[in-house]
Amino acid sequence: MECNEIMHALILFIDNEIHEEAQVQSFQSHFQNCPQCLNEMEHERQILTRMKTLLADECCEPAPDDLQIRIAKQTALLASQMFSPTQIITEYRRTETTINGQTHIEIETTHEIRGDFPLS
Amino acid sequence: MSSEIEVKTPAELLATETVVERTARFERDAMQYTNQLYAAALRYTKDPHNAQDLVQDTYAKAFTSFHQFEPGTNLKAWLYRILTTTFINTYRKDQRRPLISDGEVEDWQLAAAASHTSDLGKSAEDEVLENLPDGDVKRALQEIPEEFRLAVFYADVEGYSYKEIAEILGIPAGTVMSRLHRGRKLLRVLLMDYAKDRGFGGSDGM
Repeated sequence: MECNEIMHALILFIDNEIHEEAQVQSFQSHFQNCPQCLNEMEHERQILTRMKTLLADECCEPAPDDLQIRIAKQTALLASQMFSPTQIITEYRRTETTINGQTHIEIETTHEIRGDFPLS
Repeated sequence: MSSEIEVKTPAELLATETVVERTARFERDAMQYTNQLYAAALRYTKDPHNAQDLVQDTYAKAFTSFHQFEPGTNLKAWLYRILTTTFINTYRKDQRRPLISDGEVEDWQLAAAASHTSDLGKSAEDEVLENLPDGDVKRALQEIPEEFRLAVFYADVEGYSYKEIAEILGIPAGTVMSRLHRGRKLLRVLLMDYAKDRGFGGSDGM
């Protein structure tokens, strides 16, 4: 392999994303004979290792406690809805009043939820 | 003498699983990842309030489709995939911001990258990375475009392979590679910029 091919695919080598053994071998034999590419590879690998450590240290914010509680409640609610088919009975009431030619319409909606909620 | 014990395959067990059993399995297996999902969600939304909502919505979807999860496969990666689709369907829709295509970013930001890294040199970069103050890396990660940020997060924080990241983000593995490559470069450029702003490399080192 030529130097430019090595440099072009360096990220794959460093990330262990070259899955063919023969290709890994040709990288390694190039590094044995080419100090510049070896140096570049080692430098890149070292920087990446450092970046990974820094990123892992800083990108690990713990979830707030109340989020855990919210999720637990949500799971219980969803489970209870799966348990038995829930019936929702909806009632509409429409009242129309006309006073001196002016019509006033009032619509009232009520929802009644019927079901077993064993987990709630 | 033949055994009376009936051996069920995971699929058979799943088919006969009751809601109580499923809930218990979900709480035991999926709830342990809330911290990691929250940290990932912060990379998507950049804002703690939206990140919490995103994680909660992800758990709702995960629970209602938990019967589709294949036991024995990677549950955390499955949750990350749901996180991604939930984000795309819910949160990104609201923002309506134009997405920068990979190519557009490459042109100007990578040209900048090339000039930046050469003007201070390799040993300077090593020195900057060794002496970085707390918070710089996180700030830099939040500043780079979303598609690069997520590739870097899954590869360099979570340690996933290109193939796994491709599945989580729903993009081809080749795209993962180019986003990761560019994302890492941009991170390094920003870190060097912060160092220069603090006076690293001398006042003439602009």
